[in-house]
Amino acid sequence: MTPIAIVGVGETPAVRRSEKSLRALVVEAVSNAIDDAGLKASDVDGILSDGLVMPTTVPRDFVAAQFGIDRRYDGGMSFGGAGSACAPQLAQLAISSGLAKVVVYYFGVDWGTRTSGPYGFHDLYAGKMAFEKPYGFNAQPSYFALWARRYMHDYGLTERDLATIAVTQRQSALRNPRSQVKKPMSYDDYFAARVVSDPLRVPDCCLITDGAAAFVMTSLERARDLPKPPVRVLGTGFGSEPVNGDDAFTQPGGMMRIPGAKAAAERALGQAGLTHADIDFAEIYDCFSISCLLQIEEAGFCKRGEGAAFIREKGIGIDGRFPVNTHGGLLSHSYLLGVEHVIEAVRQLRGDSGEAQVKDARVGFVGGLSNPDYGVLLLGKD
Amino acid sequence: MAFSCLAKIEMNQSLSPEFVGFFDNARRGVLSFPRCGACARFHWYPMPRCPHCRSADVRWQAVSGRGELFSFTSVKHAFDPKRADSLPYTVGLVTFVDAPSVQFVTNIADVPAEALTIGMPVEAVFDQVEDGRVMFRPVPLKSGGIA
Ligand SMILES: [Zn+2]
Repeated sequence: MTPIAIVGVGETPAVRRSEKSLRALVVEAVSNAIDDAGLKASDVDGILSDGLVMPTTVPRDFVAAQFGIDRRYDGGMSFGGAGSACAPQLAQLAISSGLAKVVVYYFGVDWGTRTSGPYGFHDLYAGKMAFEKPYGFNAQPSYFALWARRYMHDYGLTERDLATIAVTQRQSALRNPRSQVKKPMSYDDYFAARVVSDPLRVPDCCLITDGAAAFVMTSLERARDLPKPPVRVLGTGFGSEPVNGDDAFTQPGGMMRIPGAKAAAERALGQAGLTHADIDFAEIYDCFSISCLLQIEEAGFCKRGEGAAFIREKGIGIDGRFPVNTHGGLLSHSYLLGVEHVIEAVRQLRGDSGEAQVKDARVGFVGGLSNPDYGVLLLGKD
Repeated sequence: MAFSCLAKIEMNQSLSPEFVGFFDNARRGVLSFPRCGACARFHWYPMPRCPHCRSADVRWQAVSGRGELFSFTSVKHAFDPKRADSLPYTVGLVTFVDAPSVQFVTNIADVPAEALTIGMPVEAVFDQVEDGRVMFRPVPLKSGGIA
């Protein structure tokens, strides 16, 4: 396949509620990404989004019409996080086969403003509507609270272990001027925070954000003629299992695990010819502290049940031995379902992360969760 | 926590045809899950065909209603504004010896979340529930108290 690179990134400011419409936010992000790439909208001939959220909110034809892009290629896969992490896989297929030369990917949500917030999303699953919602089980914090409680019982995870993830990511967010949250958080602050669905507290849960982000991809060859240092797509992997969205949070096949993560990581690493030891930092879909920990395990950075010890021993801060969510993640930067994780990895590999820069960052891992789907993107310096 | 605080939540559905049997049985005081006539395995949630062998011969199998608490959470935030007055309430996930591979989402009634432990025996209770929901409670000990 033709080597490709991410050559432009763009986003809107991370805010809880925006005055702008989601369409306007997406347009701003795409415009910023194309500008950052040093390209014109007329250079773009392929548009990608995730396969579920954007088609029903800001469809690709709208973006095409707004920017005057005559699409030769159009696509989207999975939804949310896995869609963002795997967009370079679709772009690379298109660029390698000659279907497109310059491909833009975008994603955004207005769940800060929209009445149903993030909770309306799962209403699309008929089984959840019939057998979960009537019991007041209709929100992601409760799904992951069930996981956290059982995981604590099985593996001895403590609330302090969860606090370590939240507190460390907050410290990273405070080193990033773009993060939505500006307030420091100590362990005492964590334990004083309101319990949402026990054992999870407010800081164990992702933020809620209005915003959008986008990135532009083209061949590595062309990327080398563009103004920003190219960030190479080293490998991509999609993984899933035959677990449906109704079952994913409660039934034995999906419960307390991240079904696609292992396969996605192995596929991406195999394509890149790399091992876990080559990864300098990781941007992992931290919708909840507990889900971040489980992905670290399932993606193969450590064994099942050893996530908390791994985090304690390595250190996941920017100066730790395994920096995770260097922008603050979904917990403390913004909740754009993982597209910001891609943008942050690009910034780190360009050396553009300022006070939040990981020293000598050469290879970055992005993990995107869309339960039961999972996407892994490995990015590297050219 | 009594049932009454949760009893008035409307079931908003046009129920999928493969879901209907559960509610019909539950209103008669029977807990049942879909079981395959060909391979005899249970699945949950109900699907048009058995996900293990693809047979369309899926039947409702009554079970004892005795299970174990796999996990639970005390919900303290009104994700649904209609529940603001019934906080906190406990959501439990229950497993069954007589329906392997089924994990059932329910509310744990009668006791506060602090009295619950993972693995404790629980049983289905049907009284006061007209909408087809099935609640669970810890199995009472003969000596009084709970297991
Ligand atoms: Zn079968």
